[in-house]
Amino acid sequence: MNRMNHSAILFLTVSFGILSFIASLSLGAADISFNDVTSSLLASFSTEKDVRDVIFFERIIWELRMPRAILAFLAGCGLAVSGLILQTVTRNPLADPYLFGISSGASLGVVISIVLLGSTISLVTPIAAFAGSLVAMLMLLMISGRKQSQQVESMLLAGVALSFLFSSFTSLLLYHTDPQAVTAVLFWTMGSFSRAQWGVLWFPALVITSCVVMMLAYRRQLNAMLLGDESATTLGINVNRFRLVMLVLSSLITATLVSLCGGIGFVGLMIPHIVRYFVSQGTVFGILLTALVGGIFMIWVDVLSRIVLENQELPVGVITSAVGSLFFLSLLYFRKNKA
Amino acid sequence: MNRSNDQSSSISTAITELLSVEHVSWHADNQLILDDISFIINKGSFTGILGPNGAGKSSLLRCLYRYIRPNSGSVKFNQQDIWQQYDAYQYAQDIAVVLQETPTYFNLTVYDIVALGLLPHKGLFTREQSSDRQKIGCAIKQVGLVEKTLQNFEHLSGGEKQRTLIARAIVQSPRLLIMDEPTSHLDVRYQIQVIELAKSLGITVIASFHDLNLASAMCDQLIVLDKGKLVEQGTPQEVITSEMLSNVFGVCAEVSVHSQHNVPHISYFYGYDTHDKTVNQSEHKSEFTHE
Repeated sequence: MNRMNHSAILFLTVSFGILSFIASLSLGAADISFNDVTSSLLASFSTEKDVRDVIFFERIIWELRMPRAILAFLAGCGLAVSGLILQTVTRNPLADPYLFGISSGASLGVVISIVLLGSTISLVTPIAAFAGSLVAMLMLLMISGRKQSQQVESMLLAGVALSFLFSSFTSLLLYHTDPQAVTAVLFWTMGSFSRAQWGVLWFPALVITSCVVMMLAYRRQLNAMLLGDESATTLGINVNRFRLVMLVLSSLITATLVSLCGGIGFVGLMIPHIVRYFVSQGTVFGILLTALVGGIFMIWVDVLSRIVLENQELPVGVITSAVGSLFFLSLLYFRKNKA
Repeated sequence: MNRSNDQSSSISTAITELLSVEHVSWHADNQLILDDISFIINKGSFTGILGPNGAGKSSLLRCLYRYIRPNSGSVKFNQQDIWQQYDAYQYAQDIAVVLQETPTYFNLTVYDIVALGLLPHKGLFTREQSSDRQKIGCAIKQVGLVEKTLQNFEHLSGGEKQRTLIARAIVQSPRLLIMDEPTSHLDVRYQIQVIELAKSLGITVIASFHDLNLASAMCDQLIVLDKGKLVEQGTPQEVITSEMLSNVFGVCAEVSVHSQHNVPHISYFYGYDTHDKTVNQSEHKSEFTHE
C-alpha cells in the first residue's frame, strides 16, 4: 500500500469516526434526531446565546452524551494501543492488559476502597484503581526479573499468576462483605462510561495522547522488538530498558482507564489483531489506525450498551466480552477452513 | 630507528586492523564457554568461524556484536573498546548482524524488515526521506527480492528470509557484518547464493559455518574453536587439514585441492572410527604446504 492509500484510509476512518460520534450523541433513551444533534453542535459555535437556550435537549447532548462518547473513544484508543504495546514487546499476539494482572490489580484496588474504606467518594475509587494497577505492574516487573533471555516467558507466567492472585483476594473480600457493596463492585468490574464528566476527561486525554505520541516516536524500536531480543539489541536498542518503559506506558493507560471506566475486556486483544490483519503496525499509519479503530469500536459498544435494553444500561464489559468471544471463534473457524 | 619502525608498524596495523579480540574469556553458570581467545580481523576480510556444536561459536560472535560482555579480556573495534568507548546505538551504526531469529505472527513485510536497517541512523521524530526509501529499494533489489517487497516475511522461503535480513544489514550501512550460521537450513543453491551475496558487499564479514567446504571456498581467514578454545587460525590452506578434522570434529576425511578454485576440499570417509583411521590419515596428508 502506498502513501496515497494510507492517507485515503485514514481520511475515511476519521470521517467514519466523526459520523459515529454524532450518531452516539443522537442514539439513546431519549431519541434525538441527527439534524437536531448537528444543529445543537453548530449552535455552540454561534454567538447568539438565546438560540442555544431554546434547544431543550442540549443538556442531554452536552452534559451526558458528549463526555460519555469522548470517554468511550479515549478508552477504545487507549486499550487498543495498550494491547498493541504489550503484544509487541512480549512478541505474544495474545497479550493484553488482563493477561498481565494489571486490570485485576486495579479491580482489587477498587474493591479495597469500596469494601474496606467504605468509599463512596468518586475520587477515592479511581485513585485506588490506579494504585492497584501500579502495584500489579511493579510486582510483575520484580518477579519477571532482569535476565533478558527469560524475561518474556517469566513475564507472561508471572502475569497470569498475579491475575489469579488478585482475583482471589478480590473474591475473598467480596465474600465477607455486604451484598450492596458486592453489587457496586460487580458493576465496576463489568465496565461503564456512566462516570464520564467534563471535569475528568482531561486526564485520560492527556495520558493517551502522550502515550500515542511516544509510540509514534518509538515506532521503529517497536518494530525491531518483533525481530527478537537479540536482533533488537544489535540494532542499538537497550531491550530491557525499552521493554520496561513500554510496559509502564501500557500500565499507565490501563490504570487510567480502569479507574474511570472499570474493567473492559478483549478490546486490547481484539483490535490490534484485526488491524494487524490488514496493515503493518509498526508505522505511523498502523499505530494511528489501531487507535482510531479502537476508539470507533468503543463508541458503538457504548451506543449498544445504551439502546439494547429499554430504560436500562448494559455493562460495556459484557458487550466487549461477547463480541470478543464471537470474534475469536470466527477467527478459529476461518483459520481451520483455510488450513 | 627502532622506535620509528615500531611507530610505522603500529600505524600500518591501525590502517588494516578493524576488530581485535584480546584474551576474551566468558563463563555462564560457572561453566567456561570461551577460554582466553585472541585474534585480529583485518578490513575487507571474510572470516569464517568453525567448530563442532557447543564449541562456543555463537558465544564468541555474541561477544563481538556486544550482546554478551566478556568476563575478562577486551574486544576493540577500530582501536576502541566496544564496551567502554561505544554504546549500543553507536555500535549499531558500524556493525550489522544477521541472526537466525525470525519474527512470527506479526505480519511484517519484507519492506518493514529491511527498513529497520535505518534505525541506528535515525532520531526518534525523524521521518523516512525519499532518499531512505530509495536506499531500502536498492537493498531489496540487490538481494533480488523486488517482487516480494510487500509480501509477508513469514511466507518466504528460508533463503529469501536470509536475503531479507541481509538487505536490512545493507541498509544499516555497516563497516562489519556478522552472520551466525547464515547457511543452516538452506539448500545448497541458497547456501552459495547467500554467502556470495555477503561477499559481494565489499565489507568486512565474520560468519560462523557448519559446512566446512563452503567455508574453505569462500573465506580468506578461518578460526577454529573447540571446547571454548581457539585451536587453529589462518588461511583455509593452513587450517583445513585432515588432522584438524580428526582432532576437532572427530571425523575421518581426505583433504584435496578443489579442481576449480585451488582451495582445500574435504571428502569425508563414512563408517570409520577416527582413532582407527589415524594411520590412513597420514597417507592422505594435506597437499598444502604450511608456511
